[in-house]
Amino acid sequence: MIDRPDAAQLLEAMAETLTGNVMPSLDGGAKHSARVVANLCMILAREWDEREGMPVDELRALLDSPDAEYVDLIADLDRRFADNDVSSELAAALYPIMMADAERRLAIAKPEYLEP
Amino acid sequence: MTALDDTRESLMQLLLASGVPVSRVEIMGSATLGAQRSSLFINVYAGPNITEAVAQILAPGARVVMAPEDDAALLRLARAAGAPVAQVLAASNTAPITGAAAIVVSKISGESIPRKILRDLDERGTGDDLAADLGMALAKIHSVPVDELPSNLVRVDNAHVHEAYCDSLAASIDDVGVPHPIARMGVHWLRQHLPSRPNATTLVHGDLRNGNILVDCGRLAAVIDWELGHVGDPMEDLAWLCLRTWRFGNEDLEVGGFGSIDSLRSAYESAGGTWREDAFRWWTIARTVWWASGLTRQATTFLDGNSDSIVLAASGRRVVEQEYDLLRLIAP
Repeated sequence: MIDRPDAAQLLEAMAETLTGNVMPSLDGGAKHSARVVANLCMILAREWDEREGMPVDELRALLDSPDAEYVDLIADLDRRFADNDVSSELAAALYPIMMADAERRLAIAKPEYLEP
Repeated sequence: MTALDDTRESLMQLLLASGVPVSRVEIMGSATLGAQRSSLFINVYAGPNITEAVAQILAPGARVVMAPEDDAALLRLARAAGAPVAQVLAASNTAPITGAAAIVVSKISGESIPRKILRDLDERGTGDDLAADLGMALAKIHSVPVDELPSNLVRVDNAHVHEAYCDSLAASIDDVGVPHPIARMGVHWLRQHLPSRPNATTLVHGDLRNGNILVDCGRLAAVIDWELGHVGDPMEDLAWLCLRTWRFGNEDLEVGGFGSIDSLRSAYESAGGTWREDAFRWWTIARTVWWASGLTRQATTFLDGNSDSIVLAASGRRVVEQEYDLLRLIAP
């Protein structure tokens, strides 16, 4: 059983209601808040459609931590950079992983910001 | 007396103490109105004369980034150097009656909302003129005599100006307390690619961008919001002004989404500024890291329950824009 509209469709409808019906009758700070909420609805709709894709396997291999969770891998990386414990080889290997992950997240948060 | 009566009386006493002839003050409206800080449009009456002014007021105990008396000193010095800024009428770190921190400046006509500015410039075709106005204004701001600036202003020794900024970025990321490896990667890059130093450190506005300027009839009317003013590398201001995030989708127009870097640079150099390309690139990356961390901090304020602002919550989903720009800027 799949309920329709699904979460993404509902969120898109909420965003359209805010921008099409609500915002024209607002101004100033209230209008800005409504625009922010509409944008957040669209982010959540895209996030619902693309729930996979975090570079867990790549980071586990690179950091030699086969069982670590994603949040622990990110915290480990943060610590290594903070402690200046990142070799130029590791930094070079990390770059494409971080870029691919940033592109994935940006495609959800603000796809029009991605360079063609 | 109501709180509004107190505010009105406080502003009148403050103006009188500053030597401004005033018989009455009327509050005409508010740009922002909060428990901690408010920005009021006021009319200052002196006999038949009416001066339109803006009063920025911080409640006692509110977090003060820059004390009004220091803010006023910066504005006066920048204005004396020829930069377009509002005229200070009065300022006090503890105003009469309310004890609030307050600054009153002359009202300047102009638009500050970036998208409205861009629409207007698009119709007028004066985007490069505005970029040139900003180049000239920055050259004048950077010419303010540093030894006359308030002593509490943050000052960085020129010998370590870039290293110190890396340290402050790292400390800021530590302080936010959220693992941020891409920002750390940026700091790592910055430490390995230190640029040339300026001949001398100067007054730096610190937040000059599309959003902190008033634009009237397509030209620069005033530079506003000086609370991040400090003494540092002048190229910081030029780079921050040109960050991609302030272009609002007009990617090809590097200066605020309305003008070219050539127009900005040419006017800056004509007015006496020295452009250092390596430092421009370095500060573009440094301030991108800074803004990535700043947006993370804003989201943390929401997540920690210290604010219920949906705008601050949304900041957390804007961090990736800065991370993406940063990674592109430091691409091997």
